Amino acid sequence: MRRIIAVALNTYRESIRDRVLYVLLFFALVVIIGSKAVGWISIGQDIKIVKDLSLAGISIFGALISIFIGTNLVYKEMDKRTVYTIISQPMPRYQFVVGKYVGLCLLIALMVGIMSVISGVYILILGGNINHWYFIACFLIFMKLLLVTALALLFSTLSSPILGAIMVFCFYVFGHATGIFLDLPPNLKDTMFEPVLKVLYYILPNFSNFDIRAEVVNGVPVSPWYVIYVTVYGIIYSLLFVYLAVIMFETKDV
Amino acid sequence: MERREIVLKTEGLSKRYPSLKRKNIFAVKDLSIEIKKGEVFGFLGRNGAGKTTTIKMICGLLIPTSGKIWINGIEGSSPESRKSLGYLPEQPYFYEYLTPEETINFYCKLRGMGSKDFSKEWERLSEILELKEISKIRIRNFSKGMRQKIGFAIALVGDPEFLILDEPMSGLDPIGRRHIRELILSLRDSGKTIFFSSHVLSDVEQLCDRVGVLTRGRLVAMGDIKEVLSQEISSVDVVFKKCPEILINEFSNSGHLIRRWEDYVHFKFDNMEVANSAVHRALEEFAKLVEFAPQKESLEEFFVRMQIKEGEESKTGKLYYSKLEE
Repeated sequence: MRRIIAVALNTYRESIRDRVLYVLLFFALVVIIGSKAVGWISIGQDIKIVKDLSLAGISIFGALISIFIGTNLVYKEMDKRTVYTIISQPMPRYQFVVGKYVGLCLLIALMVGIMSVISGVYILILGGNINHWYFIACFLIFMKLLLVTALALLFSTLSSPILGAIMVFCFYVFGHATGIFLDLPPNLKDTMFEPVLKVLYYILPNFSNFDIRAEVVNGVPVSPWYVIYVTVYGIIYSLLFVYLAVIMFETKDV
Repeated sequence: MERREIVLKTEGLSKRYPSLKRKNIFAVKDLSIEIKKGEVFGFLGRNGAGKTTTIKMICGLLIPTSGKIWINGIEGSSPESRKSLGYLPEQPYFYEYLTPEETINFYCKLRGMGSKDFSKEWERLSEILELKEISKIRIRNFSKGMRQKIGFAIALVGDPEFLILDEPMSGLDPIGRRHIRELILSLRDSGKTIFFSSHVLSDVEQLCDRVGVLTRGRLVAMGDIKEVLSQEISSVDVVFKKCPEILINEFSNSGHLIRRWEDYVHFKFDNMEVANSAVHRALEEFAKLVEFAPQKESLEEFFVRMQIKEGEESKTGKLYYSKLEE
């Protein structure tokens, strides 16, 4: 455990120096603050729009942070050869992979925390009200980002950061629209595509499960059981991808 | 023969890389070596011979295609085997934003050590490698020599009894090389087992008890450095003073004229008989003998001999393999 914590804290220290992080954080804050401008267009709905765009900003820019830093996680260590003196230590390889993942998760938690608090305070300044459901929505976004980070970690052990980022981005986009794999147009029904798309529907993580934006913005109640279900769903998928990353790294020549 | 504990053993170790054009590209093939406790083993070979690949397999960075590794009796595939191992990679890389103290702290944690152990370890290492003065400077500001010191410090974290040093002198200036040489000697004196690869054969000759020569991934020679090098005289250096011109011409035919300066002349003869007869002739003509120095084969000459021999053997389809000791 001590080794995992050491790798995690080191990864956190390393990632927090990444300039990409600050660029994305800056744009996220621009979207959150600038959402007021969009709010002016819709009379009387401005707070709803600010809330909606804030949560969307946290989700999208958090995902970009996960993708850009996550796909570099293991690859950068191999490319810069810092991994040589780490893997040659008396520690199993999985501890290195898990440590890298935990380190980035700490960073994601910090980023989501900063964006949530800033957007929350901003909504209060604008005269809106914030309840715990706003932060639960932020928490579910965080759970989604853990999953995206795990996926990015897996691709970091398999491919170059650019290819990895493209792949994770595709997963992210399709993961938000898995429903289309079942709602097939008539010309695709009973073709060879139907079973393939069905399999994809069940394999791909459904990222839209984590999205309770509309409910929170419109004050529609969300069942606590649903929050628990999505949290467990996110944890299971994340663990699966981290496990696959460990398996890939176990037999990898570094 | 003295029986010593075996620290490293490899058996039939091979590493093959897949290639689309050719079926098998072996970076290392069928390598079997044993390193005994307390010895300094020099691992020699040209660029691309497979030295670093072998070292990486021993350190757990590369997965062998076949064969086995044991470190202190523990199979190399187990992380436990690396408890007694310290590794200095060729051109070590670090987290540039960390200071030496933070770097050592990180590696102490990777070795499972607590804060108290780190304090002791930092004291010990900063004393051996004189790190105190640079303890708070970020590594990104360090010169090559200072980086090598940090690399050594990482290799020595946890006081491992077996050290693997990949090209430890590479890229260092003469003073830096001297420091590293002295460090290796002091580690040897403290009982460490050292396995190191180097291109600097004079350093290997000074430091090593045994050497192994790797050519195209195969071990072509291994043994005690005194046994490996030919004990026969390979040449004789002779310097005369006031040697008559007629003899200089005569000796230039039977030997090689190396240099003339003032009244002196320096010849190199290929064997003792020719050198002795030249000396007799010169003394009869009242020349003065200033120096008579028989030369044995150097490690460099041995290394070149091995490369040529292996090259010739591989052309005929046979592979030369000489193992000078069991």
